[in-house]
Amino acid sequence: MSNVVGIDLGTTNSLVAYVKDGVPVVIRDASGDALVPSIVSIGEDGTVIVGREAQRRLLTAPASTVYSVKRFMGQGIEDVHGDAGLLPFGIGGDPGGVVRLSIAGQEFTPPEISAFVLRELKRRAEEHFREQGEFDFEVERAVITVPAYFNDAQRTATRDAGRLAGLEVLRIINEPTAASLAYGMAARDRGTIAVYDFGGGTFDVSILKVEDGVFQVLSTNGDTHLGGDDIDARLTAEVRREIAGAAPEDGNDQMVQAVRQAAIQAKWDLSSEEETELRVDPMAGVPGGYRRRMTRTDFERMILPLVERTLGPCRQALADAGLEPKDIEGVVLVGGSTRIPLVRRLVHELFDREPHSELNPDEVVALGAAVQADILVSGRREMLLLDVTPLSLGIETMGGVMSKIVLRNSTIPASGREMFTSFADNQTAVDVHVLQGERELAADCRSLARFRLRGIPPMPAGLPRIEVQFQIDANGILSVSAKELRTSVEQTIEVKPSYGLTDEEVERMLIESFEHAETDIDARLLIEARNEAETVIHATEKSLRRSDFDELAAEALASGERQRIEQALTEAKEALGGADRDLMLQKTEALNKATRPLAEVVMNRSVREALAGKNVRDV
Amino acid sequence: MLECRNCGAGAPVDEHFCQQCSRILALGRHGDYFSFLGLPRRLGVDPKDLEQRFRDLSRKFHPDYFYNAPPAERLASLERSSYLNDAYRTLRNPSARIEHLLALEGLPPATSDEGGAKVPPALLEEVFALNEELDEIRESRESGGEGAALRARLDAARTPIERKRDEHERRIRELGDRWDSEADSPSGERLATLTALREQLLERKYIDNLLATIDREAAGLGVS
Repeated sequence: MSNVVGIDLGTTNSLVAYVKDGVPVVIRDASGDALVPSIVSIGEDGTVIVGREAQRRLLTAPASTVYSVKRFMGQGIEDVHGDAGLLPFGIGGDPGGVVRLSIAGQEFTPPEISAFVLRELKRRAEEHFREQGEFDFEVERAVITVPAYFNDAQRTATRDAGRLAGLEVLRIINEPTAASLAYGMAARDRGTIAVYDFGGGTFDVSILKVEDGVFQVLSTNGDTHLGGDDIDARLTAEVRREIAGAAPEDGNDQMVQAVRQAAIQAKWDLSSEEETELRVDPMAGVPGGYRRRMTRTDFERMILPLVERTLGPCRQALADAGLEPKDIEGVVLVGGSTRIPLVRRLVHELFDREPHSELNPDEVVALGAAVQADILVSGRREMLLLDVTPLSLGIETMGGVMSKIVLRNSTIPASGREMFTSFADNQTAVDVHVLQGERELAADCRSLARFRLRGIPPMPAGLPRIEVQFQIDANGILSVSAKELRTSVEQTIEVKPSYGLTDEEVERMLIESFEHAETDIDARLLIEARNEAETVIHATEKSLRRSDFDELAAEALASGERQRIEQALTEAKEALGGADRDLMLQKTEALNKATRPLAEVVMNRSVREALAGKNVRDV
Repeated sequence: MLECRNCGAGAPVDEHFCQQCSRILALGRHGDYFSFLGLPRRLGVDPKDLEQRFRDLSRKFHPDYFYNAPPAERLASLERSSYLNDAYRTLRNPSARIEHLLALEGLPPATSDEGGAKVPPALLEEVFALNEELDEIRESRESGGEGAALRARLDAARTPIERKRDEHERRIRELGDRWDSEADSPSGERLATLTALREQLLERKYIDNLLATIDREAAGLGVS
């Protein structure tokens, strides 16, 4: 059997984990990094670039680079107008249909972009298994996590992305529940816990009861458009306003991205520091550059309204579970945004309890997904996850009213039935509009699908008794079947997803991706060579810029060597501009060789500096 | 009777697994949440016992454990799990539990035919008084009456309704106990108990609506 993995497909970062000898572990790259930025960039030659390299291209090729695509999964164009202004890539699509992103002259649906990220994770996992010496290193099956508050369309889009990446999606599970599984592995306790999951783009809260290894979700709530992204956007907007006088009012994509990166850095700094300096390079289209001192108090004042928006869903989840804050025996923090001290403080106040954060909040969801994947394929029964559907499911009835069939917070799998009949004699078809949401009017709820019940036997009006069964499976995804009870005729149902891809579209995309598979492999090898070249070039340039360079050169370099390094550097840069992989590798190697004496002396110096002033015991 | 699709052996409708080949059985037209969970048809349910049964059966049925099973068994696991979740949700809630019992015993559901427009006779007095008071409060609010005072009047108006609700709770519990002790009584007596239960449930729903109206009114006054 091929390997199974758990994948946290995040707004900002994604990662992959698996269970090794009964213990979940995340898969890291050679440098020890587990996070793959969920960023996809399309190169000038049409190659697809994912992760850190794509992240660098946010600054150099913003119009060809997509980030935070998770926000668009399962969404219609009318849902995302608010986001469009902040993003450098084009957003389109027909009203009432799926969003399309235009990047580098091509159009992609959000599941296609996510599939690129998943493919990268799949590749990373396969490389890991191959290095481990496994004969069967392929990864074909995965559990993928989604925010608990994702609706049917968003879940389906995630599953489609998995299929497009060549993965059999064993299960879609909710991020907070996955996190609780990972914590449950560590401490087999019982009790009622709250999982507060504040990620890059989404916020979730789930209340769980844990007993006998059964992790039963009592209620869940959240906001699929509230996360670290919004904090970054808030900060970015503030800074752009402050520098509007110096820079063009609208700014260009590059400037916006430079400001955004600076804002993110400041946010990170202020999680551990009381004060930081927010800096934007003069190169980024801000004449004279920009500097601003920011204290943690300034920062908290700016983001308080955003963080406070997480408290309403927490209270609602408690109310839905029939609990008070004091009934919660443990609070678990998940997601990068929970590193912000203000977030911790507010959560602590709400539940009057110090939250748990022993496990890395960036990794805990992937670990839980790996545990669930292991349960599914191994048949291990020590643990069981019972999750709920976050939103009520219903149909549109006369007068545009939403009639609920499965209530929110129902344990899944869940099913519901509804009887339909005809309004006219010999009517052979009935239209059904499926909705998700809590509002009274159909127009205020999420449209999931419209379908037509066909093949009703001709009868006088009101006589047919058509039973429609709505089945929500353990993924939280809906399927519909129908039967006319008088004649036992099964109806054919054509479900047209309102904001998703049809099966045919997914099939077509799959076939296209197979056709591209070969060029994709070449493209990948080229990218790896390019990454390697860039790393060496960057390191060389950095050394050459050092203030103590002359001193170092005197120590390490024979005369004429500096010229040789510069010559090698120029050649490597030229090769980098091209698409000849072999030449790129050759020039990179040459540059590496030319700089080796210099690198050694730099290394020795930094070791000396690091050790200076410390005694042996500290070392 | 059910028939095992794997070995063809017959099985009673409340069995979950085939006694012969121990495979999960397809869910037939069931309809009785009590017997599905192995409980007698009684209104007194121990919440801890109910929860334990739910967890035990979840561990037996859940689709997680049928991932590698043949399609028919996967479907059976999905259907049984869905049904179990429905059963647990229904029986856990005291009102839903009574409604389910009424349906099992062939009584009409405890919903008013007139869509709640008709005031139950037993509540006429309270409803009349409440409506009068609400009218006055609304009038006073529109002419700029003081929020805190109006809120106090609303709270006062709540009291008799809440007293009624508590009365109903008590009576519903008594009737439930009576039903549980009447297992061997003549069917006429048992039907009378159920009919009375249905009546109380209808009134209770009406009372809940009244309380919701007061809450909405209070929300309209804003936080004082």
